[in-house]
This record gives sequence, structure tokens and C-alpha cells, in this order.
Amino acid sequence: MKKTFIAASMAAAFMLSSVSALAVTSNDQWQQTLEQAKGQTVYFNAWGGADNINDYIQWAADRIEQEYDVTLKQVKLTDASDAVNRVLAEKAAGKNSEGSIDLIWLNGENFRAMKDNALLFGPFSHNLPNYAHYVDESARQSLTQDFGTPVDGMESPWGMAQVIFMHDTETLATPPKSMNELLSYAQANPGRITYPEPPQFLGSTFLKQALHELTPDTSLLSNPVDQVDFHAVTAPLWAYLDQLHQVAWRNGQTFPSSSEEMMRLLDDQEIDVALSFDISAASIQIDRGNLPDSVRSYVFTKGTIGNTHFLAIPYNSSAKAGAQVVANFMLSPEAQIRKQNPTVWGDLSVLSYAKLSKEQQQAFDTIPRGIATLSIEELGQTLPEPHSSWVTALEKEWRERYAQ
Amino acid sequence: MPLIHTRLITWVMALVLMIPIAIGLIGTLLPAFQYFPPLGEYQLSLSPWRDLFSHGEFYASLKLTLITGIGAPILSLWLALSLLAWGYQRPFFTKIEALLSPLLAIPHAAIAIGLLFLLSPSGWLVRVFSPWLTGFERPPNWISVQDPYGVSLIIALVIKEMPYLLFVMLTTMKSIKARESLQVGQALGYSRFTLWRKVLIPQLYPIVRLPIFIVVAFSLTVVDLALVIGPNTPSTLAVTLLRWFNNPDLSMRFMASAGAVFLMLCVVSVLAGWELSHKLTSKITRSERSNGKRAGLSDNLLRLGVIVGLLALLNGFVALVLLPIWSLARRWRFPDALPSQWTLSNLERAGPLLLELTTNTLLIAFLSTLLACAISLIMLETKRQDMDKQHQHTKNHLFDWLIYVPILLPQIGFLFGLHVLLIYLELNGDLCAIIALHLMYVLPYVYLTLKGPYLSYEEGYLQQANRIHYRPWRNYLGIKIAMLKPAMFTAFAIGFSVSIAQYLPTLIAGEGRYSTLTTEAVAQAASGDRKQVGSMAMLQAFFPILVFWLAQFIPRRWTRWRLFIKQCVIRSKHFFFKKDTQC
Repeated sequence: MKKTFIAASMAAAFMLSSVSALAVTSNDQWQQTLEQAKGQTVYFNAWGGADNINDYIQWAADRIEQEYDVTLKQVKLTDASDAVNRVLAEKAAGKNSEGSIDLIWLNGENFRAMKDNALLFGPFSHNLPNYAHYVDESARQSLTQDFGTPVDGMESPWGMAQVIFMHDTETLATPPKSMNELLSYAQANPGRITYPEPPQFLGSTFLKQALHELTPDTSLLSNPVDQVDFHAVTAPLWAYLDQLHQVAWRNGQTFPSSSEEMMRLLDDQEIDVALSFDISAASIQIDRGNLPDSVRSYVFTKGTIGNTHFLAIPYNSSAKAGAQVVANFMLSPEAQIRKQNPTVWGDLSVLSYAKLSKEQQQAFDTIPRGIATLSIEELGQTLPEPHSSWVTALEKEWRERYAQ
Repeated sequence: MPLIHTRLITWVMALVLMIPIAIGLIGTLLPAFQYFPPLGEYQLSLSPWRDLFSHGEFYASLKLTLITGIGAPILSLWLALSLLAWGYQRPFFTKIEALLSPLLAIPHAAIAIGLLFLLSPSGWLVRVFSPWLTGFERPPNWISVQDPYGVSLIIALVIKEMPYLLFVMLTTMKSIKARESLQVGQALGYSRFTLWRKVLIPQLYPIVRLPIFIVVAFSLTVVDLALVIGPNTPSTLAVTLLRWFNNPDLSMRFMASAGAVFLMLCVVSVLAGWELSHKLTSKITRSERSNGKRAGLSDNLLRLGVIVGLLALLNGFVALVLLPIWSLARRWRFPDALPSQWTLSNLERAGPLLLELTTNTLLIAFLSTLLACAISLIMLETKRQDMDKQHQHTKNHLFDWLIYVPILLPQIGFLFGLHVLLIYLELNGDLCAIIALHLMYVLPYVYLTLKGPYLSYEEGYLQQANRIHYRPWRNYLGIKIAMLKPAMFTAFAIGFSVSIAQYLPTLIAGEGRYSTLTTEAVAQAASGDRKQVGSMAMLQAFFPILVFWLAQFIPRRWTRWRLFIKQCVIRSKHFFFKKDTQC
């Protein structure tokens, strides 16, 4: 009797340990990563053009230092491609370890360039505990297809963005809600409509938005550009732009360089419609005194382009463990909730609402929205980004047509 | 300076300067011929050049570069000479001279932003006259900045370059005995402008030839200024190249390298053409200059230059004044001439950053400028001794030419090649690397500023002192350097402001790990938030202006202060001595 009890309990103990062994291997691996990361300094190369984002990164750095003993230092870039070039220069110099960059904020073309040239460490994102817990890959195509390039775990999602438009309700009560309406508005009000200059990413996105609305068969856009008849597919776009430029701001001879410049022009009343990839841009700029409080956001009736942005680790990073710890922290509900707060940043969360606990869901529900920010429902449909090869082709054609 | 082995020093210095230049050049040349191992390219080929020459944007950019890059220096030179001829030795002109330094000191990007605030259709100029005069309730749809012809870029370049040329010319006035010539000429009945045209400018030009070349090379290759106020459809060649270098499609780098090599050739041929046309002009005008007429029609050219030059200066100053106003504005909508709401929060936000940025900026600027001063003195001394030995006053050192190479070369292509070297040496992202790169750009300016005064120094003072009491180092510092104080301080101030304005070298050597006021300001300039940019530019301008002011303020009072301190020391010694004896 005694023996059987011991045997039974021993068997139970074995069972338990073998069950937990499965969980433990990945957990152990993560514990190991946490151990390795201790004391490391992670140089995070991120676009540094917006104060609120820099402040958010600083907040994350303080939290990560406290919790994981990892020092996060932001290296402010004007363009993520600077970081790509730097990793390339390091490879040129044969510096295959101890590289100067540990983490890069990127997506689309830059990701494709790094992945194709074997400049990335990974796959790693599936091993991040928060990714496993909270991310639902089937929720959005852009989580696994970064502008048509398979992600394959080589980068970890950080946030989502969608194109929004802004207008001043005092000068323009009913804004144009499609590309054709935009053109008719420009023809009625010459000089008041423009878009950022490609290859600035928002400018390229405007081209994609227009292409999506104007081309007859949008399914062709998800193919690599060399597999379709580029000229036939894009002909309606150029015809549209030729018409628009004649009545555009400064006659289409000059274009703003960024979303920030567009908002400045909107504030100056030089233009009537601005666009941004940041859904809370209008609220933030009103708060800063950079826009009048009569400005509101809106989206096109048939939806606007949206995408996901990611964090990736270069192959020669000297703090790969630390970088993974940072990427994991950025995916935590705590960090994602704070990030979505419009007074902090207003960047959309990549976490699946259904996978969150009750308290976490509640925290997301109570995030305040600024007066000019649209709700998730109001944002409507997200149009997918075309395959990333389209960007270069569109930019090149645009510059050949309008920049010479 | 009691230096020995001057020849050896010359060669060592030349070598140290030559290595990074050579490697930077090779690092640009090889990719221009398709050789770039990291992308798996080991075969030399001409395809980058074929790509370049079949690219439509290349030709459009090149045309714009040539228009702005040649137009701006010609205008700057004309205006600087006109202002000098008009104002030299006149009492009110010293005030204008003093006002030049802020314009000189302020980084180009900040000036460009200020000009945007001033000249754009929603800018201050239109605001002041709206709506009461112009009737504009909203900004007009004009193309007054970033115009496709590059006019606004030329204006910005002129506002930055004219003060520099004027500043350099003013320092040479003594060596061409301008005052004496003016007195003699005016006694002979020549009008002021005629005198400058016929006598002084022909003497002045050879002395300021190098600064002019620097200005030409700068205009042809500038990046930050062209990014802010230049047109972008197309941009100038340097900006187009930068965009190609930064293109995520890494194969663009080959064409960009070929373009960078082409831009270098461009600079060389424009300089050659410039020199040729100078020779031609002086030949054509020779008979006119010696025809004995006391006044001439072309004097009016100088007269017109004075008006345009003063307008350009005024433009620059108003642009500068707008920066602090924007940094304090909360709401400032068109057509208000002044902000409707003011705030300090823009500055408060920048506050914590400021300390770190200022430390980095000052550290880099001080160290690189001090090093540049020391190297310049050693190089000039070896040059002087060589000249003494050989009794040849025209012979130039090897590095007289070498040190100008970095500033005559386009920064983008050259610096990328150099970056690979820094990584090999594991110096990338290091403060030393930033200082070394800054030194490359500071040294020529410091050397150039010191060269004239140092070489024209009357060596007799020092020899006499050494005969009385042979203490070569002490006398060198206490007599020669002390007498050259104004030039030393000016050289330091110029070097300092050059260092503060560096954008690409800081970014490439520092890899973003060390931000300075300038890298931050340019990063912010791209975002278009005028309040942020205004705050950054204001801070960025403060230190160079302070140093320029000190450079004019200290030398005049130095001796008085020194004597005062000495007296205090003597008195206190007496005091303590008395106390001692009492005890």
C-alpha cells in the first residue's frame, strides 16, 4: 500500500516534470537570453524626427533598465536606410561581430534590402514570450508579409500605422473622400492640394493609395512589379497626376518634404488637406499649438493604406540578447498600451485584443483619444500595401516624369 | 618657434593628412567602377557610368548645380567687393563688420530655415504686408522658395558666403596697404570706387583666391543648405547623390559613387574655368585700368553691388531674428505679423537635451580647433624657415595644397569611403574619430586665416628679444604669439564655428552615438516644426557668436587684464611678505 502510493506519487511527479519540460525548454531558453542580456547596452537605431516618439523610447529605456538591467540607447536617424548603410559598411570592413547597431526600427524596402543581403540576425520573433502570448498572426496580413516580403521571424512587430487625412473644418467643411473628389476639389480651388514628394515614404504611400483607387485590377498589386505590365497598370495614375499637378500647390513644381511640413502648410492655410501616417497626428499638433483646434482627421470612403512597422537585429550586433529583451518588452501590453495613448505617441497596438486579459482589455478601452483622432471603427478598412518592389518602380517613374 | 628637422615635420604632416584623403578617394573610386566586395562585386566595369549618363535626373541636377554653384560665388564676390570698396575705413562700417560675425558663425541650415520663414508665401515678409496692402487673407500660391531655378538657394548661399569673403578680405587689408593706396589715389583725384577697381581689387584677388575657391567648391557640393531651401524636383547633384547613396536599393551605390567622382571632376573643371576667366578678365581690363581716367562707368557696378549687398545682409539678419521669435511662439498663424500666443514650453522641452548636446558640441569644437591651431602654427613655422633658407617667397609647401583637398572635395562620396577605414580601425562612433574628421575641415580655415599675418610678421622683434635674452620658446610665445593675438583669436573663432556647423562628418564618424547641436537641428529641420527648429538654431548660433564676440573683445583688453592680474599678484606677495616679517 505504502509502496504503491510512493510509486504512484513518483509516477505523478514524473508526469508533471515531463509535462512542464516542454514549456521549460522555451522558458529556459528565454531565461538564458535574459541572463546574457544583463549589463548589455543596446544601440537602438530609430528615426528621431518626432519628440513624442523619442520620449516614449526614453520611457521604455528607463523601464528596461529597471527590470532587465539592459541599457537602451537611441541613435536618432533621419532615415532608417542610414542604419542599413551602416551595417553594410561594417560588412564591407569585415566587421562581422561587435557591430555598432543592435536594433533597427524599419519595415518595407529597408527590411527587404537587409533580408536579401543577409544582414539580419534571426529568426527570433517567435521565441519572444510576448509574441507567443499576445500576437495573432492571422489578424492582419501585414504581420507576416512586410510589403509583400515574408517576415519569417526575422523582425518583431512594434506598431501599426494607417494613412489619415486632415482638414480644417473652418476653411473646408466637407473634405474630398476619394482620389477623384480630391482632383475636382483641386480644380475648383487651385493651389490648395498637394502631397509629400516621393521617395519620402508618405509621398510614395500617396502614390500607392491613388494607384489602388485608380487601377482597374488591384489584385495585380500584390505581385512583384516585374511580373505585371507596369505601364498598363499605372497609366491611370500618371494621367491622374498630370491633371492634379496643373492645379496643385505651387503648380506641382515643388512638393512638401514630410507630413510635418504638410501640417505646417495646413496651419498656414497654404493648403487645405494634409496627410499623415500617424492616426493621432492632428490631436498631438493641436495640443502643441501647431494646428488650430478646428482641424479634424478623416479617411477615404473606400479605405486607406496601412502597414506594420517592426524591430530587427543586425547579424553583427554585439548585444543580440539585449536586443531581444528590448523587442520583447516593446510587445508587452504595458508598453503597447502606453504607445497607443495619443498624448504619448498614438501608434496602434499590434497585440490581439482577444488574447489579452480582462484588465488589459479594459486598459486599452480607456485610452483617451484626442479631439481630432478617429476611433478604430472610424478608421474603417485598411488597404494592403502593394508588394515592396512597387515602391522603387513607382518612385523611379515619378522622378522621371516630374523631377527633371 | 625653435623647430628642428623642419623638412621631416613637413613630410610627416603631409603623410598623416594624405592617408585618410587617399583612402576616402579610393573608397569612392572603386565602387564607381563596380568594385565593392561587400555586395559581391569583384569585377571592374564601366556600367555605373553608363547608368549615370543614361539617367535623366543626373543631367537636370547637374544643370542646377552648375547654375547655383557658379552663380552664387560670382554674386558673393561681387557683393563682398562692393561693400568693401564702399565702406572700408568709414566709421559706420566697423559696426557692419561687427555684425558680420553672427552671420558667419550661424550654421547654414539655420540660416536656410530662417530664410524660409522670411521668404516663403506664408513667410514674414508677406505677413507684414497682409492683408492691409496685398489683400491676402491666405498665403498666395507663389513659388518664392525652393523654386525650380534655384534662385532661393542662390540667395541663401550668398547670404552665407558674402560675409565670409568680406571677413577674409578685411583681414588682408593691411598686407596690401589699402589705406595708404587709398590716400595716395584720392590725392590724385581718383574716385573711391575707381580706385578699388583699378588698384586694390587686382592686388586683393590673388591673396583671397583660395577662400574664393573654397566658396566655389562649397556652393557646388553643399548638402544641408540645398536640402532645406533648394528645389527638389530635381535637387542639386550633391543632394541627388545623397539620396542615391541612402537608397535602400544598395546597387544604386555604384551609380552614386560614379556621380560623386563626376562631381569632383566638376569642381576641378569649374575652378580651372574660374581661374581662366580671371586671367582673361584681367587681360581685357588691363588697358582700361591704366588709362588714367579718374572715374568710369563700371564703377556703377560696384555701386549697385552695395545696394544689393546691404539688402542681402538685411535679409540675413531678419531671418536670424525670426528664429528666436518662432522658438517662443505658441500660436502664430498667417497673416499675423507676430505670434498671438507666446510660450516657454518649446524651450523647456529642449532643455534636458541641451546639456548633453552642448557638452558634445563644445568638446568637439574646442579640441579640434585647438589641435588645428597648433598644427597650423607648426606648419607655418616650417614654411617660414624654408622660405628664409631659400629666399623664395612664392614657393608653396606640399601641404599648402593638400589641406584644402578635404574641403574642395564633395563631402558625401569622400566620407563614405573614409567611413570604411574608421571601421577597420575600430574608431567608428568614437569621439576621437569625430574630432579627427572635424580637424580635416577646421584645419584649412584656421591655416588660411593665420597664414597671412604669421608670414608677414616682422621676425626682427623675436630675433632682437632672443639676442637680449636667449629663451626661444618663451620669447616665441610671449612676443611673437602675443603680437599675433588678434589673428590667433580670429582663427580660433572661425575654426570653432566651422566645427560647430559640420553635419555629415559628425554623423558619419559619430554614427549617431554623439549628437551635436547641428546634427540635432538638421534632424529637426527635416520635420518642419518651426518652433523646434527655431529653438535648436538659436542655441546652435549662441556659442559661435559668443566666441566671435570674445575674439574681438579679448585681444584689445588682454594686456590690460594681464598687467592688472600681475599687479594683484605682486601686491598680494608684498602683503604676505609684510605679514611674514611681522610674525
